[in-house]
Amino acid sequence: MSERREAAVKLFTAANATVDTNRGETYYTDLYRRCEARLSELRAMAPQSRINLHEVLQDDGFDRRDFMKWASATTAMLMLPSSFTPLVAEAAELMNRVPVIWIELQDCAGNSEALLRSDGPKIDEIVLDIISLEFHETLMAPSGHQAEKQLEEALEHFKGKYLLFVEGAIPVGVGKDWCTIGASGETFEDHLLRLSKDAAAVVAVGSCATFGGVPAAAPNPTGAVGVMDVVKGKPIINIPACPANPANMVGVVLHFVLTGQIPELDSLLRPKFAFGYRIHDNCERRAHFDAGEFVEEWGDVGAQNNFCLYKMGCKGPMTFNNCSIVRYNEGVNWPIGVGRGCIGCSEPDFWDKYAYERPMADANIKAPFGGVEKSVDEFGLGMLAATAVGIGIHAAASALIGKKSTECGEES
Amino acid sequence: MKTKRPFQRVERMTPTMRVIHWVNVVAVVAAVVTGLYIAHPYYQTFMADPAVDKYVMAWNRLVHLFAAITVDITSIWIAYMYASGDRHKPWMKLIPSKNNAVEFFEVVLNIFTFNRRKKFDTTHMDSFNAFWFALLHLLLVFMLLTGLQMYVQGLASGESSIGTWWPWILHVSTDWTLSVFGGNMGVRYVHHLGMWAIVIWTMFHIYVQIWRTIFWQEGDIAIAFGGSKFPKKRREES
Ligand code: SF4
Repeated sequence: MSERREAAVKLFTAANATVDTNRGETYYTDLYRRCEARLSELRAMAPQSRINLHEVLQDDGFDRRDFMKWASATTAMLMLPSSFTPLVAEAAELMNRVPVIWIELQDCAGNSEALLRSDGPKIDEIVLDIISLEFHETLMAPSGHQAEKQLEEALEHFKGKYLLFVEGAIPVGVGKDWCTIGASGETFEDHLLRLSKDAAAVVAVGSCATFGGVPAAAPNPTGAVGVMDVVKGKPIINIPACPANPANMVGVVLHFVLTGQIPELDSLLRPKFAFGYRIHDNCERRAHFDAGEFVEEWGDVGAQNNFCLYKMGCKGPMTFNNCSIVRYNEGVNWPIGVGRGCIGCSEPDFWDKYAYERPMADANIKAPFGGVEKSVDEFGLGMLAATAVGIGIHAAASALIGKKSTECGEES
Repeated sequence: MKTKRPFQRVERMTPTMRVIHWVNVVAVVAAVVTGLYIAHPYYQTFMADPAVDKYVMAWNRLVHLFAAITVDITSIWIAYMYASGDRHKPWMKLIPSKNNAVEFFEVVLNIFTFNRRKKFDTTHMDSFNAFWFALLHLLLVFMLLTGLQMYVQGLASGESSIGTWWPWILHVSTDWTLSVFGGNMGVRYVHHLGMWAIVIWTMFHIYVQIWRTIFWQEGDIAIAFGGSKFPKKRREES
């Protein structure tokens, strides 16, 4: 009973998606002071990695001006006043003080790829490079027992201080025993639970780690779920999308470095600075949506004129993400920009509910009893037809029988 | 032995009720027509016109929202009349009492056995009709909540032209639909299916009224137009 009451309370008090971009003078002055204190504390600490941000930036051909431009853009993305720019720049330099352990579970390494394999490293990626990555199976040189030893040491050494980045879903159903890691055959679930125990916070990157993503798509053979369904009693930050945007990963780490706290989250634990707005509301094709100008088929005149992709199944109207603002690869382009609709990759169950090239009304839904897949409209029309047939039969029967029966009841 | 009994006139819907009824009809039809467009734009705009001159989707959404607001307002009115109606309080017909149960099953039996047995006072609203309308009102409340959830998603900044209280109220009253129906898309699915349910509801409603008019010969269909029906006088009264 009390459990049910708690569930109901949770249902009606969950954090909503409203984004507060101006919290007033006092709030920001106070925050500024706290951030300064935090940064000087970090500066006093020994760096965990010897990489110097400015040397790396110089090697890649970015000068101080580029870096400051990036810092002011990032300050704006984090929804902080522009006076915070120097602090954000300083926080980026101090990112090597925060130890990060990165594990991969049921995934495709797409999020690691997103941050490594851009056409040329951009400042976002470089800044992420200098975080003190203590453990990352795909990137580190050691393997096997050596790698495990390194992990144990990192866990011991940075107890309670490290950020645990998780990429990939966790199988908790029948697939639980199929997915093990390391020589001891530890299941993914146990691995995650052990590593998250002493983490300062857990960051789930990508849609698989946040909501189960592709592994959890119907019929979800392994019983895959996201981090927040497994880890309890720890601050969890979800950065969904397939792959997660490196700009948002930097944003979260920077926020942590800067304030020592996790950013404000919505009810799905996504940082509001990145997931507070719908793609649709900041989409460059929105004018065509309002005008009713749609691409009707791939490559038609509408497509050549950058018309709205709604009828080709764009899910921008039901997807919260900032890709229409920050785009990918340092603002080069993004899915709708290249002429294909949004597939809602940052929403729960995106593979089943969003990723099809039809509008919502033509989406295939499952009957409650499973099995037959019908589109929403087919289902509705089917019910309507059944009613019409029923009425037709009744009307015909009425016409046949009606004449014979007489009024009965009170006057019989 | 059958005797001819005179008809009597019974007023069933006041002018206000009739206005509400027909306003609702227009609003629901408008909402369905525009809602189908919003869910899947089924006609195209003229390509030759510049985009600034045509707001086809925007107009559809505007009409849809105004239709929805109209239905919401009439619903509040109806809710008020449910409880306060001076004639026959409709909510009293929804109580599962013995009398109401008899009425309810009498009407259903009549429909399915093609009968015209009147074992209850047919001059008043019967329990079955009250129940059927309550179902519609529940459907409308459902559409209201799921629809407003979709609407508040565009007010992410927490501001609106009428103040911050409006998005706040929408969040408080509709955010639970996200968890119950499966996220942004789930809410859209059920809102769209709700539309089909209302269309089916309407179809059955119109059919039953016509059928009843023909079978029971009390002129029920006239209620929505002239406000009165014309049953024969009961034996005791004649
Ligand atoms: S392309 Fe997608 S996100 Fe952009 S306006 Fe059209 S429906 Fe909205």
